[in-house]
Amino acid sequence: MSGRRVAVIGAGMTRFVRRAQETGKELSFLAASKALESAGITLADVDAVCLTSAPDAFDGVHRKGDYLSDGAGAWGKPFIRTYVGGGSGVFTPIQGWYTVASGIADVVLVVAEEKMSSCQPHPQGAFLTIFDNMIERPLGPNLLWIFALEMNRYMQAYGLDKRDIASVAVKNKRNAADHPSALLGEAEITVEDVLASETLAWPVQRLDVSPISDGAAAIVMASEDVASRLTDRPVWVQGVGWNLDTTYWTNRDLAYPQYVENAARMAYDMAGVTEPRKQIHVAEPYDPFDYKELHHLEGLLLFDRGTAPEAAAAGVTARDGDLPVCPSGGLLGVGNPIAAAGLMKVAELFWQLRGEAGARQVPGTPERGLAQAWGDLMQVGTVVVMGTEGGPSPTASAATPPVAPRATALREEAFRTAEGAVTIDELDLAYEWDAGEAIGAFLEALRDGRIVATVCTACGRTLVPPRVFCERCFRPTDSWTQVPDAGRVETFSICHVRWDMVPLDPPEIPAVIRLDGTSEGGFLHKLGGVEPDAVSIGMEVEAVWRPVGERTGSILDIAYFRPRRGDAR
Amino acid sequence: MSRTVTGGIPIGFRYTPGVGNGAFLDALRDRGVLLGSRCEACGVTYLPARIFCERCLAELTPGVECGPEGELVSWTVGHVDLDERPLPSPEALGLVRPDRSDTVLMHHLLGDGPWTIGQRVEVVLADERRGSILDIEGFRPA
Repeated sequence: MSGRRVAVIGAGMTRFVRRAQETGKELSFLAASKALESAGITLADVDAVCLTSAPDAFDGVHRKGDYLSDGAGAWGKPFIRTYVGGGSGVFTPIQGWYTVASGIADVVLVVAEEKMSSCQPHPQGAFLTIFDNMIERPLGPNLLWIFALEMNRYMQAYGLDKRDIASVAVKNKRNAADHPSALLGEAEITVEDVLASETLAWPVQRLDVSPISDGAAAIVMASEDVASRLTDRPVWVQGVGWNLDTTYWTNRDLAYPQYVENAARMAYDMAGVTEPRKQIHVAEPYDPFDYKELHHLEGLLLFDRGTAPEAAAAGVTARDGDLPVCPSGGLLGVGNPIAAAGLMKVAELFWQLRGEAGARQVPGTPERGLAQAWGDLMQVGTVVVMGTEGGPSPTASAATPPVAPRATALREEAFRTAEGAVTIDELDLAYEWDAGEAIGAFLEALRDGRIVATVCTACGRTLVPPRVFCERCFRPTDSWTQVPDAGRVETFSICHVRWDMVPLDPPEIPAVIRLDGTSEGGFLHKLGGVEPDAVSIGMEVEAVWRPVGERTGSILDIAYFRPRRGDAR
Repeated sequence: MSRTVTGGIPIGFRYTPGVGNGAFLDALRDRGVLLGSRCEACGVTYLPARIFCERCLAELTPGVECGPEGELVSWTVGHVDLDERPLPSPEALGLVRPDRSDTVLMHHLLGDGPWTIGQRVEVVLADERRGSILDIEGFRPA
């Protein structure tokens, strides 16, 4: 690995709760001060602070980085917030690593915070603009669509059994029963409970997904000389990796997270890991949904494609299995305050590799583990590989970190009636988004009842949604072409809730549709004129256009796609 | 060709005061006092109360009563609203360091002025207090 060696020497976290009484600053302080205490240092020993927190809109504080800086111990120090969406919690320790490895600092405090409970009526509202404002948002999307569409594609690609996938939620919620910070530990939960839970956006059910939460986590990272002075049990950062797939999410391979593989290979190369299945002893992949843990395990090259679900159901990934996965309880069990949940995984590796995880401790003497997170528009992979490198053998600590984690849970009633609380009914902001050249032309063509694409002759791709440049070849696209208004269903969901979780009856059927004559992936629309039960992946569909006089040059000029009846235009 | 769509981000917020601010607001409502927290190690008293010292990250217990008088650290008089329309009458705003506090509060200045940096001011409490920063009506010359 290039640069100086870097170790993790302390970790701390709050309890994860549904609604915290503490402000985000206070949560950050509770985690950061525990991490310093665990490292046996004070804030005066810290040279720089790295912070992460997901969108400002969750806490409802613009420039959340400097808002949180005092609770993160950044007063008067070099400080910066990094942010790659859900991937942030594992990215910011990478930032901490390069801050120390480069020689800029000897000791770095890394803090991750999220307070999602402030956002009303539902934090999903903050996510609506991650959909393309021109060609996706008019469809009334719900963030769950992306996950449901990906999960369905994953299940179809490998013929997976949903029972096997549900076993991940069961494992993680059971593991979390031993975690003092956990919001969702349930020692007795069964696969039947998961399969019987409310369907949100088929195949995603309530217990397949981790809920919004409040919390913070922190670690201390140090250079080799400082680490060896402060502890005889440093946990070394052996490799780091991060990678981003295309931002056209409907064009991605939804069945396999190539970006996770790319990030993992970068980290494995740095760590000298050549046989990850033998050399990784404990894994904390990102698990906001049960299928994501499996998807990620395959991208991390720890299982062959499509085989992780069956292995999980067989107990291979249990705490006492061949490869313990999410012994912490993960996001599904401990909770999902987004950025904090990722850093919680790095903290768990620290405790596991030091033999300090108490009731959560995996058997044997794990020498190397990895943590991974996922985010941005669901296409960033961030990976950290950590290990003990045969240093002094871990001595089990009497206490089970995190020691006495704090954060005060507010019940819904107390939250609604809290004295001194301030309510802002709606963010008083309005935007006007320009379609730009490519999407402007695409929308004009829709008004005429035509679907147009751009062509890149260098890579030979025909692109929908069209763009004026090819993001792979990084050159202008060469020409426009009309493509048929018919294609195939790449994946679909049956969605029973709106973005704010208000029930939808009847449900709607979002789908990724690959048009005939286009190169890969497809674009987002809805299916109609068909019973949900009759929809299948691979089904041939065609556009149903609004009457000519009613078209406005909008994605809604296509009313929906229906099972194909005639010849495409 | 130019084509645009308009829209917003359909969210609102509910901010709860947290532990430190909560202690400050409770003391203001119930006892009409300005409650701060002191870090003995750093020799700094924070107002409103905080549960940690931002300089050393020590845990603090709210419990130092500050004010009711203090020093005007800076002031301005606003003549326009957020949209730059003229206000019905100018509004004076001050940064006040209440006695025993090392930090300042931003609040309304009551009276016609003129205002002088360094002048003594005192807190004016609202008749009806509900646990809000508006339980303070403002500061006036002491």
